[in-house]
Amino acid sequence: MDDDWDAGALLTAVRQHDEAAARELVRRLYPLVAKLVRSHRPRRTAEEDLCQMIFVKIFQKLPQFSGKVPLPHWVSRIAVNTCINQIKAEKVRPEFRHADLSEEEVAVVENLAATSEELAPDHKFAARDLVEHLLAALKPVERFVIDMLYFQQYTVTEIQRLTGWSASLVKVRAFRARQKMKQELARLSAEGLR
Amino acid sequence: MKNSDLRLDRLLRAAAAVPNEQPPEVPFGFDTRVLAHLRASPTYDSLDIARLLRRVVLTSLAVVVIAGAGAYRELSQPLDLGEPFTDEDVIADSAIGLAFEQ
Repeated sequence: MDDDWDAGALLTAVRQHDEAAARELVRRLYPLVAKLVRSHRPRRTAEEDLCQMIFVKIFQKLPQFSGKVPLPHWVSRIAVNTCINQIKAEKVRPEFRHADLSEEEVAVVENLAATSEELAPDHKFAARDLVEHLLAALKPVERFVIDMLYFQQYTVTEIQRLTGWSASLVKVRAFRARQKMKQELARLSAEGLR
Repeated sequence: MKNSDLRLDRLLRAAAAVPNEQPPEVPFGFDTRVLAHLRASPTYDSLDIARLLRRVVLTSLAVVVIAGAGAYRELSQPLDLGEPFTDEDVIADSAIGLAFEQ
């Protein structure tokens, strides 16, 4: 999203029920919202439906936007909270078994257990799929923290800004998520040895 | 650092090497759907009215609480019985006395 556009003027027009301005605001903010939705979308909700839900909330809450924080930060917080709430609503966190892994994922698990070298580049997609399975077993907030820290490369401060959590809460959630992921990985590895 | 930590870090590093997808374009008709949904749901004006109503209710509650506190304070003060009786009290008292004597 380019930062050159005049968010203030656009918001003023939207508040005066200018439909063209509202469409322009959607167009400007869509890449940001879609990116966050892709990272944190619950499995059973379509990306477009979730984006629509977020935009409706943005417009409904727009009168409350004071301008104290940049508009993208405010929008990001709404998007992230909506995604987390939607994931919570799904509740189901199925346990993943070694037998459910693909051949490539099994190779990654074995490689991790057998050597201490970095995984080969041709294993990166299997590694990503394996991580997705591990993330599915976590709480939504834990999944969010891992995704932001390791895949979106956000700092703790940036996650604080996005969520409103304290730095220690971000770190505690990341620590707990890592503990669970390590346990899951060890379980999958042990199941493969049986 | 423990072995399990190193393993997880290696896995996460490999997984992070997968490039993130490019931000997508706005789907056709998406903005129209959002605006239509917005018109169908309680927004703008009704939210303003709801906010105004909330303020009115809160102000009324504050007035009721202050008035209640004032009334309670007034009632809890002891009656001042040290005041001398006025002429009217004396007349009323003698009228009641006479009524009972008859």
